[in-house]
Amino acid sequence: MTYLRPAWLALSACLCAGTALGQGVTLPDVHRVELDNGAVFILDEKHDVPLIGVEAIIRGGAVTDPSGKSGMSSLLAGMLKKGAGDRDAATFAEAIGAVGASLEARAGLESITISGEFLARDADLMLELLVDMLRAPTLGYTEMKKLRDRKINFIRAAKDSDLRPLAPAYGNASLFGEHPYGNPVDGNEESLAKISQRELRAYYGEHVGADRLIIAVVGDFDAAAMSDTLSAAFGDWQKAAAPLPEFEAPVPEEGRRVLLVDKPGATQSYFWIGNVGVAVGFPQRAELDIANTLFGGRFTSLLMAELRTKAGLTYGARSVLLRPSRPGSVSINSYTRTETTIEAIDLALALLAQLHETGFDEEAIQSGKNYILGQFPPRLETAAQLAAQFAFLEAHGLDAAFVNDYGAAILAASPEAIQSVIGSVYPEPDNLVFVVLGDAELLRNDIAKYGPVTEIAITEPRFRP
Amino acid sequence: MAVFAELRRRNVFKVALLYAIASWLIIWFVGAIESTSDVPVWTETFVLFVLAIGFPVALLFAWTYEITPSGLKKAVEVDQTQSIVYKTGQKLNAAVAVLVVLGVLAVFGQRLLPTFEFILPGIPEGDAPLSEKAPANIRSLTLDNGLKIIVWPDHDIPNVVMYNFVRAGGRNEYPGITGLSHFFEHMMFLGTEKREPGEFLRVLEAAGGDYNAYTSSDVTVFQDWFPRSALEVVFELEGDRFQDLALVPEVVESERQVVFSERRSSIDNDNFWKLAEQVQATAYVAHPYQFTVIGWPSDIESWTQEDLINYYRTYYAPNNRTIVFTGDVTPRVIFSLADEYFAEAPAQDPPPPVRTVEPEQQGERRVVVRAPAQTPLLHIAFHAGSAADASTLPMRLLLNILTGGESSRLHRLLVENAGIAVSVDGYQDEGFDPGLVWLYMTLPPGGDPRVVEQRVLEELARVAADGVTAAELAKARNIMLADFWRGLATIDGKAEALGQYEVFHGDYERLFDLPAAMKAITAADLQRVAAKVFRANNMTVGVLQAPDSEGAQ
Repeated sequence: MTYLRPAWLALSACLCAGTALGQGVTLPDVHRVELDNGAVFILDEKHDVPLIGVEAIIRGGAVTDPSGKSGMSSLLAGMLKKGAGDRDAATFAEAIGAVGASLEARAGLESITISGEFLARDADLMLELLVDMLRAPTLGYTEMKKLRDRKINFIRAAKDSDLRPLAPAYGNASLFGEHPYGNPVDGNEESLAKISQRELRAYYGEHVGADRLIIAVVGDFDAAAMSDTLSAAFGDWQKAAAPLPEFEAPVPEEGRRVLLVDKPGATQSYFWIGNVGVAVGFPQRAELDIANTLFGGRFTSLLMAELRTKAGLTYGARSVLLRPSRPGSVSINSYTRTETTIEAIDLALALLAQLHETGFDEEAIQSGKNYILGQFPPRLETAAQLAAQFAFLEAHGLDAAFVNDYGAAILAASPEAIQSVIGSVYPEPDNLVFVVLGDAELLRNDIAKYGPVTEIAITEPRFRP
Repeated sequence: MAVFAELRRRNVFKVALLYAIASWLIIWFVGAIESTSDVPVWTETFVLFVLAIGFPVALLFAWTYEITPSGLKKAVEVDQTQSIVYKTGQKLNAAVAVLVVLGVLAVFGQRLLPTFEFILPGIPEGDAPLSEKAPANIRSLTLDNGLKIIVWPDHDIPNVVMYNFVRAGGRNEYPGITGLSHFFEHMMFLGTEKREPGEFLRVLEAAGGDYNAYTSSDVTVFQDWFPRSALEVVFELEGDRFQDLALVPEVVESERQVVFSERRSSIDNDNFWKLAEQVQATAYVAHPYQFTVIGWPSDIESWTQEDLINYYRTYYAPNNRTIVFTGDVTPRVIFSLADEYFAEAPAQDPPPPVRTVEPEQQGERRVVVRAPAQTPLLHIAFHAGSAADASTLPMRLLLNILTGGESSRLHRLLVENAGIAVSVDGYQDEGFDPGLVWLYMTLPPGGDPRVVEQRVLEELARVAADGVTAAELAKARNIMLADFWRGLATIDGKAEALGQYEVFHGDYERLFDLPAAMKAITAADLQRVAAKVFRANNMTVGVLQAPDSEGAQ
């Protein structure tokens, strides 16, 4: 069967296509409500489907974990659903399941986040559950002990599994050390075991309250009614007893050092190489995103092309930027078979040097720009994604321009500006923290060439010595 | 020149221009309707045909007749001094201007105004009937070479998703070429007769697109996510790699190492998959589902150039594939591009059928893996149905009741109450042939797999004997319905779901029967399926424990 494809078709396709690349994404205007006690609500009606997405943020997170008690905020996040208001843990889970909704709480470096998605018809129930989680969690002893022990065992199970997700935990713990960013978000086996119910309750009082609260709701509801409901639910809530902690920006590491994590019998080594990078408010975000896309943020990036496609050393290699309120880490992550560990790390270091020396040509930069712009719209497709975006912006004191002007900033980024950002953000090969997870017996001699080596067993109940 | 002047005097050129612009508007309008409503796909071709025939007729009419104050007269009969062709010409000019403005408004207005878009067939409210019809704007077309293409327009974001389903996976392999399907998934990115290895990736990324692929025991699926502007680039790239793949020996060798690396990370250094691979190999004695999708190391090392060439010709043929497009497209555009880029690939003889049927299991099977582990693992697998089997949907609901989330039976029993497991999960294979139903338990350090197994089997026996409660069934149904609708909230989810139902259920429209089918299932159905599947003789138990642990089985 043949289809006619007249010229006008191509014409109309071009007219529309012109708007696809280059326009970026524009966020809808939202209703923002701030209560006297500091609670902030962001509401956006979106009536195309009868779904609602909600994102509640309690600012704080792992950086507020008490000393030696890392994992406290993560444990609290888990406990919010383990009984709240009139419901015990089982009844609470039953109530969410009965309407096919989702309502999940997790901790991050600088916040606890509750994400929910539900049918519009279940909004009353789901808001009631959300309010109870935030204002009236039971924090009971039995549930707390069960969850705490499970979280410890989850870490042990992760150490028995593919180590890709754990390498950054060791990397950031090693790089930041005693700085709050050195806190593993989900704690470690040792720190979790030390947390008591009394401490958990005290922590809740100090670090959860109206002045820490941001709730973004997107979807099929009436904004005025939703605003009334939320204001009534949180209007008389007290503030958190403690202020948000002030802490200094971490200082970039000078020189090199190595942490070797021993997993006897491992046939593959996982490595993380990094240093201190930039914060979320880094002004040249567009330039940096282009640079990172091309260095290790997509399949044809420099790291992937050389380590995987050309050398066949690995299945995956990437560069990762962690961008919290103060400068986080910038790192190279990859893995290879034990015998090629040194070859792969040497190549990664050579590529880091190449990044500084030659950077990227105009054609690569144009490709990177197109890729970022082309992949941007699906990130803000659903109500839940939009809610998360609004809450994120509010939590970091950013406005809609962060999203709306992004496309234009990507388009405007010049090769010179990109190269200058590379020079200021990516560490020099001489200043690096190395973390290698693998069979230490086979690695320890060769790896010493990168710097002084500290060694721990993977079964050690923490992520740094 | 006299003829030219006379043509001009009689407004023939203006009529031609007006006709052309009006035609363009009509066709544009038909196209717009076509993408959002239920008119036949040939409508546009038909309209184009009628307009083409009308063109000479209109010109002839303009030449022959003339509008006069006393009505329509033949031009030759009109007194030239009384002629008002000039006024008529001005009216025609005005009409052209109006139509041009209308056209511009329409084309740009479409981007600004909310359209009559049919996004979802409506989420059921309360007790409203759960039965839904497939959205009318989904279209499909089968090319002469057997390639079927399905299109679901959704203009929410200016992006498009493509899922290309190849009916080839682990079940099409045999000893010596296990893992070949998965390896082929990698090779598809590594060069064609006219493109260097990696060029596919560079071209697609430069056009703003991203891509991935996955392989299962049943299918290999290639995914592209891209801005609408990259549509033709994607067709060209996909047409090329599915017709003229280059299998360069040096590239094959380098990629073997990449796949080894993937195997080391995903299986050999991951206790969960290390055990699952052994359980799968133990549960089957005959059917090729026994092969691990990534392949046994010996086979990854040794498949030959000839294996690759044969495999490509047979399994990647257009008649063995189905492609789904969702997002900011219209069926018309997709089908005409498909005709241009996908129609040349020749059909091949259908692949040899998988003849082997797994004989009924005669008694429980056990497998133990000794590996360094702080947390022991227990996997229990039962033979069950294929994707299209009537027992599959009840089993999905049953698995949700047993392992879906914190209010599920096994989670409460093992994790919350007894504290003998750290986590419990369930999974059902849904492929072309009867697959396994899996239960996965992670134990705390020192945990005894025998105790956990005992408790699990007791609970399964209880379900088979006493069934589930109405509340449990209602909850499972609600969870799965919500998952269903949430899955269809993105163009990616739409593409995946349509493709799954087309490939495994024979018709994408069955996807929209799911809510009604779910409602029709009773607690008795679940009980019957539990009794049929959860039998000791039908079970394979796998345990992973540290070499030095007590209670080796």
